[in-house]
Amino acid sequence: MRRFLAVALKELLQLRRDRLTMGMMVGLPVMQLLLFGYAINTDVRHIPSVVFDQDRSAESRDLVRRMQATHFYAFVGAVRNYDEIARALRSGRARVAVVIPPRMGEKLRAGVHVEVQLVVDGSDPQTVASATNTAATLVATRSLEILTGRLTTSGQAPASEPLGLEPTTWYNPELKTAIYVVPGLVGVILTMTMTMLTSMAIARERERGTLEQLIVSPVRGIELVLGKIVPYIVIGYVQMSLVLLFGHLAFGVPIGGSLGLLYLLASPFIAANLALGLFFSTLAQTQQQAMQMSFFFMLPNILLSGFMFPFEGMPLPAQWLSQALPLTHFLRIVRGITLKGAGFADVAPELAILVGLLAILVLMASLRFHKKLG
Amino acid sequence: MEREAIIEIDKLARRFGDLVAVREVSLRVYRGEIFGVLGPNGAGKSTLIRMLCGILDPSGGSARVVGHDVASEPEQVKQRIGYMTQRFSLYEDLSVEENLAFYGGIYDLPGDRRRARIEAVLDQGGLREHRKQIAGTLSGGWKQRVALACATIHEPPLLFLDEPTAGVDPVSRRQFWDQIHQVASRGTTVLVTTHYMDEAERCHRLAFIFRGELLTSGTPEEVVAARGLSVIEIEAEDPSAAASALRAHPNVDSVEHYGHRMRIATRGHADPQRLCREILAAAGVSVTHLAPDRASVEDAFVSMVREDEARRSQHPREAA
Repeated sequence: MRRFLAVALKELLQLRRDRLTMGMMVGLPVMQLLLFGYAINTDVRHIPSVVFDQDRSAESRDLVRRMQATHFYAFVGAVRNYDEIARALRSGRARVAVVIPPRMGEKLRAGVHVEVQLVVDGSDPQTVASATNTAATLVATRSLEILTGRLTTSGQAPASEPLGLEPTTWYNPELKTAIYVVPGLVGVILTMTMTMLTSMAIARERERGTLEQLIVSPVRGIELVLGKIVPYIVIGYVQMSLVLLFGHLAFGVPIGGSLGLLYLLASPFIAANLALGLFFSTLAQTQQQAMQMSFFFMLPNILLSGFMFPFEGMPLPAQWLSQALPLTHFLRIVRGITLKGAGFADVAPELAILVGLLAILVLMASLRFHKKLG
Repeated sequence: MEREAIIEIDKLARRFGDLVAVREVSLRVYRGEIFGVLGPNGAGKSTLIRMLCGILDPSGGSARVVGHDVASEPEQVKQRIGYMTQRFSLYEDLSVEENLAFYGGIYDLPGDRRRARIEAVLDQGGLREHRKQIAGTLSGGWKQRVALACATIHEPPLLFLDEPTAGVDPVSRRQFWDQIHQVASRGTTVLVTTHYMDEAERCHRLAFIFRGELLTSGTPEEVVAARGLSVIEIEAEDPSAAASALRAHPNVDSVEHYGHRMRIATRGHADPQRLCREILAAAGVSVTHLAPDRASVEDAFVSMVREDEARRSQHPREAA
């Protein structure tokens, strides 16, 4: 018993001295609680939507108002044609478009059947069903109201329902989950490889004493950092190619847009993760610590970036946090290009944020790195 | 003949906050010699070496190494020195040859020269048969040889060895010192730190560092002679009584037990053999063996450190 206590006490003492591990032990359960409790919410709300109102009548405005009132759709703007719908969906500005046909109000009053079209972005299959169902219920309710009104005024029932919903799914119309997940996997794998491998590669030099040998040598800081990073960039591109290739062959993931553009835009994302890996490496004394930090970082990435759970289901603070993750923006870029055939102009806003994050991370990493080498 | 100094240190100092790691050390190391820096752990040896390598800025004083100021031209210094620590700093998952090629590249050796140098250091270290072996699978002594080969791949005129033999078995240590002498015979100046006193005697000249201060420097013979110690070897009936009687005498500097025998270091007495006999006779201890012995660097060093500590405990304000 005394021997057992001696071992247990020693273990506790060692844990207490390792402040990073202690922090993780306290931080991890709290973080998991917050992440799983709040962020994972498939009850989607405030889906960004646009309206293509060809009627512009009191009746059409009323329908939009009713949709907005459910808090399920958040109208972010009006569009004037189907091209603009496509652009809004490709860039991710909107996920749903409501198309109101010309002279809807007139036709309804004349007792002519009217179909309202609902265009849904199928690249995230999790939101499609609820987006369609909510609209269908609304339209059916409105239809019933019109019907009741007509019965009371004229006393005769029309031959057909006055108002109907015609749902259309663009991009991934078969709603295959693999098609949604595989492009996102590119981003997740790159995040994992780049941060973990770079942070560990430098922590390893420190742990084994080779970093000191390098500091004594004439090798410059920039030569050392670039020499350490470039091989991993190459590895990152190989991984990305493998995922895209097998995703295409095995799951039929389409490559709708330009592959060249995708590879080009992957570079700021890869660089951002490398900078973060470097930053971690300046904090970690051992490979184990570098590993713990990378793991700690992966959790919010997987849960909050929109990789597994719809962004629109998260509470606002989680959404803000996810905006700070490079993966969030890269996911939109990679899904936009592969699934929706987005071009440079479509993904430019996400790219701008990504480049901003990159600049911040590079600054953080270089400030810390210089201190350590000096 | 005026010898050419490859290291000139003038009142070099380094503080870490309140702690003074190196206190106004001035030294010269001449081209071609093996210079030992001795001191216990934490004496400031590594801090001194790091400043001389240009990777740690001095807080005061100056040092010129291979003709360049370490504070203002650290990159020129780095290019022309070799550096090896007790950790050997090898890439354990690379082969011997790959390690050499890597360091050759880091020191910017062109392809032809790099290949030639790899062959040369493999020969010098007797490493030819191990060239394809993964460094991590080598024993400590062999790793040390590879580390030395890596540190000399660019033929530096000056080589720093920071406790290169710590934790290495005695046979390997001797072989390593043979190698250090070979390196020096090819014209490389070697500055080596150690706390093994037997190794100090293998240096051409040495310096004692204690609490960041330079206590003395010179050839091993000079350092020992300057301390003025006479050493007597004694075998007595009652060693512990003999030791306490001897230690009580002001001329006795130290008494150390070596198995059945004791080594007594004395200072400032004309006839140390007679002194010992008298002390032991007065204490009633019978002596079975008594003979003079050679004073070593270790004797001189321990004596100086003890005196320094005694002085500090009497004048605590000076120590602070």
